[in-house]
This record gives sequence, structure tokens and C-alpha cells, in this order.
Amino acid sequence: MKISKLLVAVFALMLILAACSSDDGDDDTATTEEAGGGGGDGGGSSGDKLAAVIAADVVVCGVNDGLPGFGVVDDAGEYNGFDVDFCRVVAAGVLGDADKVEYKPLTADVRFTALQSGDIDVLIRNTTWTATRDGQEGATFLFTTFYDGQGMMVPASTGFTTLEDLADANICVLSGTTTELNLTSVFGARGIPFTSVVFEDNAQLQPAYEAGQCEGWTSDASQLAAFKSSIEGAGGDEQFIMAEIISKEPLGPVVSDGNTNWAQAVEWSVMATVQAWEFGLDSGNISSYNGDDPNILNFIGTDNFNPGLGLPSDFAVQVVTQVGNYEEIFDAHIPAIGLSLEGSPNNIWTDGGLMYVPPYR
Amino acid sequence: MTTETQEPQRRELARPPFYRDVRVIRIVGQALAVLVVIGIVYWLVNNLLSNMDRLGISTSFDFLFGPTNTAIPYHGSFDPRSPVWQMVLIGVKNTFLAAFFGIILATIMGVVVGVSRLSENWLVARLATFYVELFRNIPPLVIIIFFGAAVFTAGPFPIFSESWEFNFPATDNNLLIVNNDRWGIPGFTQTSNLLLFYVVIAIGVIGAIWVWRRRTKNFERTGQPHHRVVWSLGVLLLALIVAYFAAGQPLEISWPVISGNRRRIDGGFIINWGWMSVTIALGLYTASHLGEIIRGSILAVHRGQSEAGNALALSAFQRYRFVILPQATRIALPPTINQYLNLVKNTSLGTAVGFAEITALTKTSVGNGRPAFQSFIIVMGVYLVFSLTISLVLNVVNRRLELETR
Repeated sequence: MKISKLLVAVFALMLILAACSSDDGDDDTATTEEAGGGGGDGGGSSGDKLAAVIAADVVVCGVNDGLPGFGVVDDAGEYNGFDVDFCRVVAAGVLGDADKVEYKPLTADVRFTALQSGDIDVLIRNTTWTATRDGQEGATFLFTTFYDGQGMMVPASTGFTTLEDLADANICVLSGTTTELNLTSVFGARGIPFTSVVFEDNAQLQPAYEAGQCEGWTSDASQLAAFKSSIEGAGGDEQFIMAEIISKEPLGPVVSDGNTNWAQAVEWSVMATVQAWEFGLDSGNISSYNGDDPNILNFIGTDNFNPGLGLPSDFAVQVVTQVGNYEEIFDAHIPAIGLSLEGSPNNIWTDGGLMYVPPYR
Repeated sequence: MTTETQEPQRRELARPPFYRDVRVIRIVGQALAVLVVIGIVYWLVNNLLSNMDRLGISTSFDFLFGPTNTAIPYHGSFDPRSPVWQMVLIGVKNTFLAAFFGIILATIMGVVVGVSRLSENWLVARLATFYVELFRNIPPLVIIIFFGAAVFTAGPFPIFSESWEFNFPATDNNLLIVNNDRWGIPGFTQTSNLLLFYVVIAIGVIGAIWVWRRRTKNFERTGQPHHRVVWSLGVLLLALIVAYFAAGQPLEISWPVISGNRRRIDGGFIINWGWMSVTIALGLYTASHLGEIIRGSILAVHRGQSEAGNALALSAFQRYRFVILPQATRIALPPTINQYLNLVKNTSLGTAVGFAEITALTKTSVGNGRPAFQSFIIVMGVYLVFSLTISLVLNVVNRRLELETR
């Protein structure tokens, strides 16, 4: 009796999991490839994903729906934010139309499962590039679009300024993030005892933090800046973000392993925004460029220059005209949450930042 | 085919050809069905495993022995370098605690609500109806979140550094520490070896069972009231006292004390708001279902039974205790088992209030790179074990109570 119940449960699980994960890694594409038995074939070869996305004529993008500045849903039900704009960059580059994006909001602990199963084509959701994610999660990380670091926020009334002040305190953190891992290792290395309070998303975390159920909130510094301004703006207690940065958090788009052509198409679309910024081209002047710098002429696709990436030759013009260059994308969302390009690692390399892209040649 | 009229002989059964023989068809059909199912499952699992290989995701259970690297909520003493299987055990322990106390609360409240609905007192009956209709129609997740938010996060309790402390009368010891995050209640600390203690308690349990059976047999033989509950509990209490002193007073009460920096409770038992939200919310939710089950089972007992009880001049309590409830229990038991299993599974909703039960810890672990398929097979196994244990134990009781009609 018990054994057969166990078997039924296991069979049911296998059926459900098989339904969710597909043969060739992308569910919502109009590929004519046979979904053959054995599953090992199909999707492994690198051309398929890019062709599949072009055939489906839509980019399915995994995003955040609750992070001010990076991914939020506004009152009209539209997605807005820094990461959302990069989804549109990918669509503009690959498909020629920045609006051909389907957004899928994901919580932190299911984002990699969605990517692995082919539910989404690309994940642009303030995701940190780590070795474990490259390896165990079967993910490929692309160009870092935002260099961030992990910080700690406390109510200003507590008077805490260093991490040691938080001994024995409750600290709120999101589950399934590098923040959780870093918090544990840094506090453990310094011998600071603490109690973690873990939530699935910020909508549950913020009320608990404001009610005092935890004394510290740790997250990426950009997230903390956003929430600090929203808490103080809504009339809450004054907040203090500690000066100490606990870890490096390079954020960027992610695709799943084994789709090299797709990865390169996404990466060069994204990098085009930085290259345009370096050339001084923005959404206003790129389509009317009439100089004779050969690098810029290649970049905007004059004479049908095609390096064989599978992108249309004018993809850079489409990206920059429809969405903007990196500086425009940054300025549209990030200063509103309290951060600026000046002096940050996100500045162009010629001004002392880290934004440096390979030449398009 | 003829039969001889002189000697009755068994007529040989004419067997049709195998393709029309029902017995052969049945066996072949079932064998084919099993083969088809096995084939489908094999194809699906093979598909899954080769896709995981292609993506570079591990398909083994080795991750259980790697370090956890994350802290467990409200378990500050858990060393993050411990292997993952220890985190799983803590999750199992927390699920068990929530389910156990939730079941107790649900049963008590369920009986109260069920019997109250049948009361002749108008106010009591209406209140019970209101309770049932309210809790039955709201999804358990909503109740849990509401409890967590309304009672703790946005509720009347102070923050930890300003906890209310209720002293044990006339002493300085805290009986209860109350705030919106972690409560402290008195607990036990172990001061010496508990082995002798457990041995004497085990002897006491055996003695209590023996007394129970002896008093019951005596009752059946002579009709003398058995009072077996009182006798057994008396024996157990005696065993407890003997064990405590024989083992040299190995347990000591430890009182909860707020630490000097007003951020820790030292001593006693600490219960966190996530556990309390889940347990109380699920207890109340399941009680609304159990109340209806109990009410239905009491109404299902034939009215003639209570009329006969009245004819025998039994009081209301005696009527319920000796005539109605024994019959009602038989009817109520299978749906009650169902509700208990539902409660165990609903504890997985505790992720919404930061309660570190097995599902929440597994989601964190998967979000940090462990393979999802194997992790969730383990979680499913945990819930299966809980559910099968509860249904096994209660089905034994059920079988003993069943009417022997079929």
C-alpha cells in the first residue's frame, strides 16, 4: 500500500517536471525541430536559440517587478526600469523593434530555474555574476551592465555605523540571493553573531523592516538607495546606509549555457549602448551621423558591415534610437534612486569608470 | 462434446483460442499497460537527466554533503559550514513542530466549535457559525499572512528592545517575554545524564499500559468502574517523580532573560513570530473544517440513540460521553485524518512569514545553486513520510472503531 503510493507520487512528479522542462531548452518558440525521444539531441547546438527567437519574433525576458529603478510595474501596468530597458535593447538589436518583448516577473529563488527550463530567453534581473552560478546553475553571464556592491541599511535612530554594532541583531534579507550568502560569510568571518530573517520578496520584507522586526536590511547598495528614498519619501523613519560595502555585485544579463550565438547576439546588443556613449552618439544624433570616422561608420552599419553575429547590420542604430545609449538609459532611472555616474564604477572608462567594450570591427 | 450419462464426469472446459481467451487478454493487457507506463516514465526521466547534463547541472545527491553557506532564519546557532543535510533536518524539525502543535490546537478548537454549533444557546451557536464561515472561506495563505502582519508586524506588541516581561509571581524570573519578534517562555536545561531518567519513564509507561489493561479487564468482568485514565496517569506521574529524583534531578528550569545588549533572549525556549503565525493560523483554519466534520458526525448518529439515552435517565454529559461521541468518532475519523494531512502540507505556506520550515529552506538552497529536481524530491519525501505516518497511526485506530458490516 505504502510503496504504490510512493510510486504514484514519484511518477506524478516526473510527469510534471517533464512538462515544465522541454527537449531543446525553449518552450515558446515556433521551431520545427523534432522534440525527439531521449532528449539529448536538440537545442545543444549553438545556432538554434537565436534562430528560434527570430522565428518567434519576441524576446521573453525575465525581470524584477518590485525593484525601484531597475524593474517596476507602473500605474499603467507597463514595465519600467534600467534592466527593463536592456530587455528592450536586446529586442531592438535582434528583432529591430524594442517593443517586441514579453516580460516575465520572477522572484530571486526561481529565476535560474526559469532560465534552465527555457521559460525565458534572457534573464535581466539585477543578477550577480558568480562562479557557482556559471557552473552549477548552467548559466552564462554576459557583459556587466551595473557594477554594484552589497551594503547594510539601518534606521538612523539606532546610531549604528559599523557591522559590529549589529551583533545579535535581526537582519532582513531576500532568499536565494548572493546577499544571503555574503551576509553569512562576512559575519561569520568576523565572528559577529546575528539572526537572519528571510523573505521571498521586498514587498514582504519592507513592512517587517519598518515595524522593527529586523534591525538591519542588507541588499545591493542600489536597492538600498531606492528603498531609503521611498521610505523617507513616504514619511517613514530616517534611514542610514553604512559606508562599508560588503561585497562586489556585478549585475548583468544572463542566458543559459550552450547557446553561443544567442549569447553573443545579446551581448553585442547590450555593449552597443556603451560603445555609442563612447562615440558620443545618442538617440538624437545617431541616425543623422554624417562624419567619416571609419569606426563609427562600421558601428552604424554603413556599407552593410556584417561581422557574422547574426544581427542586422543596422542593429546599433535601432538600439540607440529606440532605447538610447548607456548614459541615457542610466540617467532615465538611476539618479531617481539617488545614485549618479560621477565617481561610480559605472562611468565610461575614459572618465575613470569600468564601462569599456571591445571594438566593433 | 458429450457427457456420459452413467458416470458423472466433469465436463472439460472448452478453451477458446488465446486471442479470445479472457484470462489471457487480461494478463497480456495489464502487462502491456505496465510496460507502456514504464516506457513513458523512462523516456521522461531520461529526457530530464540529459537536459540537466547538457546545462551542466548536477544529477546526483552529492550536494547534500557540501556546506550550506547560508544562515537559517531564527537559528543563530547554526554553523553555516555544516552540510546541507543538517539544514534539511532542521527544516524537518520545524515542520514537525508547526504541524504537531497546529494539530493539537485544531483538534481542541474543532471540538469546541463543532459542539458549540449544536448548542441550544443562541449566541454560542451563532458565534460558532460565524467562526466557521469566516475561516473556512479564506485561503490558508491569506490567513497566515494576515496573522503575521496584523498580529506581529503591525500589531500591538512592542519591538524587541522594549519587550514586555511578565514575571512569575513574587519572583524576579520571567514567565513570559512578549514582543513582535520572538517570545521567551521557560524551558529546561539538562544538568546531568538523562539515560536513567528515560529508562524509569519507559518502565512507567509500560506500567501505565498494564494498569490500563488490568482495570479494563476488571471492568468487563465485574462491571466495576475502571477509572483507567486516572489510574494510568497516576502511575505515569509517579514514574516521572521517581525518575526525576532517581536520576539526581537532571533537569532544571531555565528562565528566559533578555541579554544585556537587549537583543537576545538567553535561556528558556524561544518561539519566533513565523512559527506562531503559522501554527495559530493553521490551527484556527483547520479547526473550522474539523468543527464541521464533528458537527456532521454528531448529527449522523441516529436520534433514537439520544432518545434511548434520555429514557435511561442519563445526564447530557453522560449521554454525549457514553452514547453519542463514541459513535460520532467512528464517523468523524476518516475526514479528520484528511484534515490533519492538509494541515501538515499547509505548513509549507510558512515561507510567507519567514518561517524556516523545509520548503522555505529548500527554496533558499535551490536559489543558491543546488539542483532543483533532487532538492524537491527530498522535500516531497519528507511530506510523504509525515503524511503516511499520520494516516498509518490513525488508520489503526479507525480500523478498531469500524463497524464490522463489510
